[in-house]
Amino acid sequence: MGALALVAAAIVFGLGALGAGIGNGLIVGRTVEGISRQPELRGTLQTTMFIGVALVEALPVIALVLAFIFYGEA
Amino acid sequence: MDHIFPIVHVAGIRFDLATLTMIILTSIIVFVLAKLAVRNLSVTNPTKLQNFLEWVIEFVQNIIGTSMDLKKGRPYLMLGITLIMYIFVGDMLGLPIGIVTEAHHGASIFGMTLDLGGEEEAHIAWWKSPTADIGVTGALTIIVILLTHIEGLRLNTKHYLKHYIEPHWGFLPLALIKEVSKPLSLALRLYGNIFAGEVMIGVILQLGIWGTPALVVWQGFSVFIGAIQAFVFCMLTMVYMSQAIVHEEHGEH
Repeated sequence: MGALALVAAAIVFGLGALGAGIGNGLIVGRTVEGISRQPELRGTLQTTMFIGVALVEALPVIALVLAFIFYGEA
Repeated sequence: MDHIFPIVHVAGIRFDLATLTMIILTSIIVFVLAKLAVRNLSVTNPTKLQNFLEWVIEFVQNIIGTSMDLKKGRPYLMLGITLIMYIFVGDMLGLPIGIVTEAHHGASIFGMTLDLGGEEEAHIAWWKSPTADIGVTGALTIIVILLTHIEGLRLNTKHYLKHYIEPHWGFLPLALIKEVSKPLSLALRLYGNIFAGEVMIGVILQLGIWGTPALVVWQGFSVFIGAIQAFVFCMLTMVYMSQAIVHEEHGEH
């Protein structure tokens, strides 16, 4: 199953990157909106944004590890 | 992916020697840091290290304060400080240094034969972050999740056992899935971030001299990611703890 493992690696990480991109984009976009509405909350909003990014990126990073595993199997 | 890790099989159990040495090294570094910081404690004239450690303590107190009442959270301050310092030092350790040796089939260390995965010879990496191993992150997660369950049962027994079937017993499968996915995601998040970062360093190193700007950028990004993941692990610990022990706050039901 050598070649199919490479295709699996590509698909798993491609979809993971798509999810990470859309998710992070939404988070940062809303944070920028929030900062523009209330500039004095900039510190709190930034901290919450980083927490949100780390949480949302958890599954795409797991997809990345799976892609490395599949790539090693090929 | 060019190099493998020194794996030995002792009594049927798979040990990763690089991870074991790095766990001990991280523990020693955190311990020495803490010990040096409390030498010559002074209120009026703190040393720089004492100042730094006080900042860490206040930072973790802030984290606890955002998820639960500080009076209830006081016992978990040491847990939070240990977690954040250990994970941060562990994440940073694997970045600057790499030690790779060559080994041939049948090579052994201290009398235990190295498992080269069936190859005749392989490059073995001896230096990596301890948190880049699912065993280490899994162990940290087990400690944290076990603590939340035990503290929930001990301090908040009735509400803790009832929250599985509130607001309706039909929610039980979802609550059980949540109890499974919490430890899984906690462990895999930290493992995936740090492990993927190290694999990328290995890939960039294969470019040789032309990879230097990419390596600089990626190392900087990895420092950032390591710090964020330590912070998020500590914060999620406190959030899960507060969910287990503080249930009477929700007065609606």
